[in-house]
Order: sequence, then C-alpha cells, then structure tokens
Amino acid sequence: MEPKNIILPQDRMPRQWYNILSDIKLNPPLGPGGNPIKPEDLAPVFPMNLIEQEVSSQRWIDIPEPVLDVLRIWRPTPLTRASRFEKALGTPARIYFKNESVSPPGSHKPNTAVPQAYYNKVFGIERITTETGAGQWGSALAFACAQFGLQCKVFMVRVSFDQKPYRKAMMQTWGGVCIASPSTETKAGRDALARDPNTPGSLGIAISEAVEAAVSDPSGKTRYSLGSVLNHVMLHQTIIGLETRKQFELIGGYPDVVIACAGGGSNFAGLAFPYILDKMNGKKIEIYPVEPAACPTMTRAPFVYDHGDTAGYTPLLPMHSLGHTFVPPPIHAGGLRYHGMSPAVSQLIDEGLLLPRSVGQLASYQAGVLFARTEGIIPAPETCNALACVVEEAIKAREEGKEKTIVVTFSGHGLLDLGAYDRFLSGELTDVGMSETQLAEALCAVKDYPRPAHLKSR
Amino acid sequence: MNDFPDDLERRCPRLGSPVRFGYCRLLAADGRVCPKILDCWWERFDVAALMRRSLSEEDFASLAEGRPPNKVASLIDLIRQARDRHRR
Repeated sequence: MEPKNIILPQDRMPRQWYNILSDIKLNPPLGPGGNPIKPEDLAPVFPMNLIEQEVSSQRWIDIPEPVLDVLRIWRPTPLTRASRFEKALGTPARIYFKNESVSPPGSHKPNTAVPQAYYNKVFGIERITTETGAGQWGSALAFACAQFGLQCKVFMVRVSFDQKPYRKAMMQTWGGVCIASPSTETKAGRDALARDPNTPGSLGIAISEAVEAAVSDPSGKTRYSLGSVLNHVMLHQTIIGLETRKQFELIGGYPDVVIACAGGGSNFAGLAFPYILDKMNGKKIEIYPVEPAACPTMTRAPFVYDHGDTAGYTPLLPMHSLGHTFVPPPIHAGGLRYHGMSPAVSQLIDEGLLLPRSVGQLASYQAGVLFARTEGIIPAPETCNALACVVEEAIKAREEGKEKTIVVTFSGHGLLDLGAYDRFLSGELTDVGMSETQLAEALCAVKDYPRPAHLKSR
Repeated sequence: MNDFPDDLERRCPRLGSPVRFGYCRLLAADGRVCPKILDCWWERFDVAALMRRSLSEEDFASLAEGRPPNKVASLIDLIRQARDRHRR
C-alpha cells in the first residue's frame, strides 16, 4: 500500500539548484535609453555573489553546505497523497501536494530567505533590511538571519503592524527588529510622518525605507533583500520541484499535470521549472500556472514589448500585456489592469511550454474549504487558486475516465489569513467575468507596439 | 458630505490584511489613490465610475492606465531616490 506521505531521506536532498536561464532565451530588459540593465546597477542593494546568480547562465548551481544544514530543519518537505480530497471529488485522478506549509514561518518563502542570508553573510554583510506587508516575507527573513547571526530589520507597513502583532512577535522571537513604517529611522519615513503623523503607511513607503536604510549605511555592511520576482529567488525555490521529482521516483511515478499558483512567480517556478526542463527534453507533461480570473494577464493578453509606466521611464520589457494606454470599462476594471508577468514566465508561455489557467475567487475558496475539510490543512488564499485548478483537472479526469497524476504546490497555510475565509463563508465574495468585446477593446491599446522575437530555446 | 463607501472592508492582496476603502482611496500610496484600487474593488461596486467622477481627467487616466513597473527597474529607481535623499 502506498504511504500517505512520501518522505525523501535527508541524505537524498538535492545538492544543486536548477537555473532555467541556461535553457531559455530571453529578450533582455531594456533601460530608459534602450540599453540593457547592467548587474552593477543593483550592487548598492544586493551582494555581488547574489547578483552573479541573478545573471548566471550556469544550469546547475551548488547549494552551499551551510544552507543545506539550515534547510534540513524542515526539508525535504513531504509529498502527500490527497486521497481524502480525491474521494470527495469522486475522481480517478491521483492528487499529490508538495507541502511547503511545514517550514517554520509556514510557507515556501524561507527557501530563498535562507540562501540570501547566507550569501550576504559570506560577502561580509552584517545587516539585512526588507519591507513586509502582512509579515510572511519579513518573518521568513528574520528566521533566516537568525541562522547566520545577521541583524534583520523589517519595515512593516503600519496598518499591518497594528493588525498582525503575532507576525511582529514571530520576527522578534527570531531576533529580527520589526519597525512600523513610516518610521523616524529614514528620511523617507520622516517625510511621510511630517505629511501626516497618523498615517497608516504603505508598501511604497516601507520599500523606500528599507532601500534607504541599506544604501545610506556608511559602513557598507547593510544590504536589502527581496522575496519574489527576481531570477535568484526563483533559482532557490527550485528545490521544491527537484525534491518532488525524487519523491515520485521513490514510488515509481511521474506527474501528468503540474499545477502551482503564479503571483510573484517564485512559488510557481519552484515546482515547475525542473519539470519544464523535462518537458524540453521530451517528457509529455502539462504545466499550469494559475492566476485569479480577475487578472487575466497570462491567459488572454498578447506577448509584446511594453513600458512599465505611462511616462515610459521604465524599461521596455517583453511580457504578456494589455497595454498601458487602455482605460478599462468600469465593471471589469480589475480584470484588465494588472498587465505584467515575469519575463521568464512570459517567455515560457510564448514557447508553448506553459499553459496558463485562471480561476474565479469563489471557486478558489470553495476548493480551499473542501481541502481543509478533507485533508485538514487550511490553505493560504493564493494556494486556493492552485487547488481550484486541481479540482477542474480532477473533474475532467472523472469525466474522461482517466487516471492521471496531478501534483500541486501547497505553498503555505492560511492560519494568518482567516479574515479572507470569514468573508467567503459569510457570502461577501462574488465573481464577475469579462467579455470578448471588452478584451478586444483592450488589445487595441497595444496593436502598434513592437513585438518581441518569438525565440525558441530548443 | 463624503459619498465614498470608505468603511467598506476587504483583504488587501499586497498587505495580506483587511483594509477599508478609505485607505485605498487616500492613504495606500502616500496620500494618493492606491494604483490597485480598480483591481480590488470592481467586484464590490462600480469603483471606476466613482473614481472617474472624483478625480481629474488626467488623474483618472493615470490611475486607469498605470500598472506596476518592472521590479528591477523599480529597485534601480528606489536606489536613485534614496541616494538623492541621503545627499540632501
């Protein structure tokens, strides 16, 4: 009988990360003058060893032993058969979830916080700053800094600081300093407080404070850390998918479908990128990044070069975009405004290696509640998006009578997001779709934009 | 008289915690309208029509057309701003 949890022995933990930049061709990000952004532009905020990873084209990058030593606190994470979820769905599909909620902070975030802290340490950095909203990233970085004897300063948006004292307590327990932003520690914070002493703060101010605290340290021993979007963050997360592949080997299986939610990109990249390599090498596998239906960037927008802002100061980037000149029709404004997706993911979609999916928020929470009632763990709201896609695939398998194997990243638990469940359970949430006419109007905004080359990596 | 539904509350996807509409309208982006206000509130009421009525044509166009910039480009701009503040 197959065990519920497939446990990878610690001595079989992956010892290298997979760098997808070695296997895909990317149109380069362009600066305001049309020139590519240079690595040294980032040196004031990141140590050079991390910048080297950011731009590396080496396929396999060794995981340093001190990093492995910390990751072993909770890794390898279990690959669990969601048999009770399957039964509730009445599906012949075999559903597995890679449980990243078992990390000390409760999500996949420390997979990159730990190596980032390590590389800062060996570069001679003594202090790391960051910003946090709800505190998930801040607590992951505080935990990681504690492992390497680094000071960690987290600027937490005042409104969240007041609402989520337990996140602040987590950071402090791990030795981090959590400061409500705006603070009096930076010029950006003081300016904001001068404008309004009672301001609840914003992520914009918190990021400005964290970056200022790093670049203005006269000792040069402070750097800044970011928990999503960048290439080195995705690289570190690939340990999720690399472990998953080994766990399937233990039971002689292999997934037909890989699913993960795609927000900042790191959670999706973590599970999917190693399987994309398999797909490039001929494996028959479907890989679905899942986004909320309210933000259909990947599923319905064309692949174009576009600016990140209306004034055109930010670089022209290859991305799936509905364009920045479009004024959305009122009811569907939300569905048309979040245009950008990470260049690497956009490239993979353009090559047909990924098939993006979107799910409505009601379906997401329904899937999350069903999962909690069958498998027991309450998923984070973002995790619910991926689970909703799993439900769709499971039902499709039932209708087709196919015994396919599905694997999904369980990116985090939702125990600190119960307010969102409360809104769903009290019937406050609704779904609204988007018409083809409205989409066509949106696409007119980018019809004359330059098109990136449709590169083929293989 | 304030005809904005400032007390309506929802989960902020950026902060991960509940905020009131009044925060999104005035405070989330340093005293300006949060750039994601249309994304977040469109399912609750006609927020775009409300914003179109309350903002200047130019400000509404900026809100409707804007989107989050590329992260690396944002960081480089934040470094420049921080250095400028520090020099002053």
